[in-house]
Amino acid sequence: MKKSILAISLMSVLCSGVASANLHINGFASIKGGMSTGSDKSLYGYTNEWDFKNESLFAIQVRSDLGDRLSVTAQLMGRGSNDFDARFEWAFLSYELTDNMTFNAGRLRTPFYIYSEFMDVGYAYEWSRVPRSVYGLGFDNIEGVSLYRTDQLGQFDSTLQLVYGSFDGEAGFGPTQLQNLAGLSWQLGQDWYSFRAAYFSAKVTIDTLALNPLLDGLAGAGLGALVREMNFDDDKGTFFGLGLTVDRENLIAVAEYNKVDVSGSLFAKRTNYFVSVGYRINEYTPFISYESVDRKAKSDIYQPFLPVLPSPGLRELVVGTIESQAAKTNTVNLGLRYDFHPSAAFKAQYSSEKNKISDQRNDALVVGVDIVF
Amino acid sequence: MSYVKAMLAALLLLSGSLVAEIAIIVHPGNNASVDQSELNRLFLGRGNSFSDGSRATPLNLAEGVPAREHFDTQVLNRSSAQLKAYWSRLVFTGKGTPPAEHPNAAAMKAAVAADPSAIGYISASDVDDSIKVVATF
Repeated sequence: MKKSILAISLMSVLCSGVASANLHINGFASIKGGMSTGSDKSLYGYTNEWDFKNESLFAIQVRSDLGDRLSVTAQLMGRGSNDFDARFEWAFLSYELTDNMTFNAGRLRTPFYIYSEFMDVGYAYEWSRVPRSVYGLGFDNIEGVSLYRTDQLGQFDSTLQLVYGSFDGEAGFGPTQLQNLAGLSWQLGQDWYSFRAAYFSAKVTIDTLALNPLLDGLAGAGLGALVREMNFDDDKGTFFGLGLTVDRENLIAVAEYNKVDVSGSLFAKRTNYFVSVGYRINEYTPFISYESVDRKAKSDIYQPFLPVLPSPGLRELVVGTIESQAAKTNTVNLGLRYDFHPSAAFKAQYSSEKNKISDQRNDALVVGVDIVF
Repeated sequence: MSYVKAMLAALLLLSGSLVAEIAIIVHPGNNASVDQSELNRLFLGRGNSFSDGSRATPLNLAEGVPAREHFDTQVLNRSSAQLKAYWSRLVFTGKGTPPAEHPNAAAMKAAVAADPSAIGYISASDVDDSIKVVATF
């Protein structure tokens, strides 16, 4: 509800400004088709039947300079996975406090990762998609405010972003509310390389629909202490990320690492990273990347309660629920970007993911075109 | 004597493709000096002022104009596709807009001559006294 009011008010600002304001309209699109190589190898939403919808998207961005350092930006995006229903991916007001400092307010992309803010703009990078293992928090946007500041520190370009806001939506486990989401990202670089660090924290409350019967049962059995260790009830969530980029002559290398946890919940401690190397040969950029996901289940939650859990069945259910949060996968990607047109790039990428717990291998082959206009 | 002249002429012809093909130009009243790293900052949206602190407005030639290609590859050290990808990162995060484009040298000279904050470039052979050359590449 709040979102639609925001969207409408921004739209009215945009529309009323058409006649007088300085309007910039840009767009981007990805048209992608892909499939997995076997009926039991589904990955990234692809099955072994060709699918042209799953990762395709269209977006229009409108930015209106209202003068006196004030501007408004809105991005309307339709994703194939959502039947191309267009929605405001982000919509915010910007006020230039000084030449190197901008204040933003509205629906913003949270700068968790290096590519956070343009992860949907396929044209901006080599891969067919940002590495899911690392870009897999489950939500990307917040409603709030941010301060963006650039500085020249000796030979280095510094970019600092401070963010404060909240999230209310779906992020994997069920209806999720993140309150007091606050943090910063800082990037320091020179012409051909940059380092980046990010830290965010929030109060996390999730209505874990599938777990509620179990949690209710435990509470009824007088095990409220165990319920509090498992559920997401105003628990502290933290995100810590590091990144490195190199773009020198024809070599492109990127690496990112992050750690995510929600204390006082059954959320498995996540450690993710990827390393990617590409090499430009005129219009062709072949690349290879490796991704890793490691989610460690919090076995120490249930251990003290094992003697007091009333039945073996319940014990099994509690242990199983907590242990099932564990995951361990490695993914190898091989691909090629071909700049066949000044505004469009053709890409092909093969991804193979190995689940080290089930020993299952999943894969997907995707080809497509990324465009900016 | 004529032998030396002939030698020099031959050298100039041979090196013609390597020297001073484009001129970086500013308003005649602009006393700022620029080097390649500063041009990089200005034309990649990392900075918006000259070394003396006054505001700078970078101007591009349109894609497809030979001097543009020369500027992109020799001064910014990037291919046109790389630059497009670079700008798409800024445009779609609302953090910047690429320099305004002018279709040819005449339009570029007119724009630079009219704006004390402007900085652009043209093929060296198009230079006249309506603008001031601050560097050549």
